[in-house]
Amino acid sequence: MVEKPVQEEKRVFMTGNEVVAWAALAAKADIMYGYPITPQNEIMHYWTRMAPKYGKKFLQTEDELSAGFTTLGGVLAGKKAFTATAGPGNTLMQEPMSMAEMMRIPSVVIIQQRGGPSTATVIYSQQEVTMTTYGGNGEGFRIVYSTASHQDVFDYTIKAFNTAWKYRFPTFVLGDGYQAKMRESLTIYDPEDRGIELLEPEPFFGKQAVNGEKQPLHIRNTYNTEEELYEVLSRYMDEYMKVAPEIVEYHQFDCDDAEIVVVSHGVVSRAAKGAVQELRKEGYKVGYFRPITLRPFPAEQLRAVADKTKTLLFVESAFGQLAKLAQQAIFGSTVGVENLFKPGVGVTSEEIVARVKAMV
Amino acid sequence: MGKAVKIAIAGEGGQGVQSVAEIIAEAANEEGREALYIPNFGVEQRGGVSIAFLQIGEEQIGSPKFQKGDIVVALSDRAVRRTRQYVDENTTFVYDSSIEGVEDDLPKNAGRILAIPAIEVSKKELHPRVFNIIIMGAVIKATGVVSEEEARAAIEKKLGYKFEQDPRLRELNFQAISRGMELVEKAQ
Repeated sequence: MVEKPVQEEKRVFMTGNEVVAWAALAAKADIMYGYPITPQNEIMHYWTRMAPKYGKKFLQTEDELSAGFTTLGGVLAGKKAFTATAGPGNTLMQEPMSMAEMMRIPSVVIIQQRGGPSTATVIYSQQEVTMTTYGGNGEGFRIVYSTASHQDVFDYTIKAFNTAWKYRFPTFVLGDGYQAKMRESLTIYDPEDRGIELLEPEPFFGKQAVNGEKQPLHIRNTYNTEEELYEVLSRYMDEYMKVAPEIVEYHQFDCDDAEIVVVSHGVVSRAAKGAVQELRKEGYKVGYFRPITLRPFPAEQLRAVADKTKTLLFVESAFGQLAKLAQQAIFGSTVGVENLFKPGVGVTSEEIVARVKAMV
Repeated sequence: MGKAVKIAIAGEGGQGVQSVAEIIAEAANEEGREALYIPNFGVEQRGGVSIAFLQIGEEQIGSPKFQKGDIVVALSDRAVRRTRQYVDENTTFVYDSSIEGVEDDLPKNAGRILAIPAIEVSKKELHPRVFNIIIMGAVIKATGVVSEEEARAAIEKKLGYKFEQDPRLRELNFQAISRGMELVEKAQ
């Protein structure tokens, strides 16, 4: 019998890309399909280094379209398959993930955001929020976790497999180039040792007959009539809305008496947390709100905050991609809105502190 | 609980600045402290200034990069010009005294500026290969982020397999740390 990848809980110090490979192993992923693009290359480097020891497989495809479609093929064959990409690769990945939405194929994609549009930088941004939440020609039937630390990357990569297979919506772990390349500490563990049940994949096709009867399966991404499509999409939307409340995750603190609430996600929320804590020490009434799921968005929760505070300060490494999701979610609220947008570059807590002080 | 110590180390590709930052980060992590290290990286395959951003503290570090460092180390003329932006009145700016033609480019706003002859010492006293370890000694002396003992242990962990083959390398590396620490002590 092959050994478990993570024998016991341990504190480790590594890059985020390495964390993804460990998490996928811990989640019992069977195969990764991928095509190289910075800053996520090392996910496949580490995966290919470690996977054979545990009987896992890897296929490098000719591009991201193929990586996405082969991932779906692997899932249809009954494997826990995943892929990873970034930037322009994420653009191409939207086509196969649209098919995953239409055919309800569970799939896990790790995104390490880089600067955009186009090639831009290979370094960092939060500019793939709109694309990752609502990309493709569809309705955004997908789940997106935005991670902020290596612990998050490990926890949510494991979780993404369960979420995808439980709800049968494509599931994205949205990191960024900073998280991909930086080293920091985290605790890795075997999820089953912590009582986390890992959902088993099963083949879509070629199932054994039950009581002598074949198990027919019909999954489609092509429809002949408008009405047929409308009926299917209406059902998907109902299902999505029904499960959204149990999928939604967020983190907030110090919002109850806050006059300004800093809203941020991903790695920027680390700076926001530091800024809010420092401002509180100085007596400023400031709060912190971080959506962990960007899709579905914690709309009710943010609305509750917006109803109590005077101003929301959106901070992100993009020109308002988070702010757009958030403002749609709280439509009708009369809360004031301010922005600190820095597309393609990091945001420090000092900048947020200075901005809040300038607002007061 | 003070704020994290912020360190930027910059040099030419091949000078080993990324290894230095990584070893210090691992040493701090081994001590049970929070460390975050991120290299700058771009589309260039070679050439260009290489910068390592390193933060060490008692609590989880905030944003991976920072605007102003507590210690900024520049090991080439281009690195001096590139890293001026990370310096303010609280920064100790360390550069190699053999770098020529940068007198006008030094960040005059730095809290203090230290010139250390690390390149010369590595060539004349030790070995050019341990140049970056001298810099490591200088950084830990200037910041106190890790002890000399922990730094040695981290180097042992990283290069132990090489030391097995040639124990003189161990001595050379450990001397390099000590010399780096001395250079900063003298320059202060």
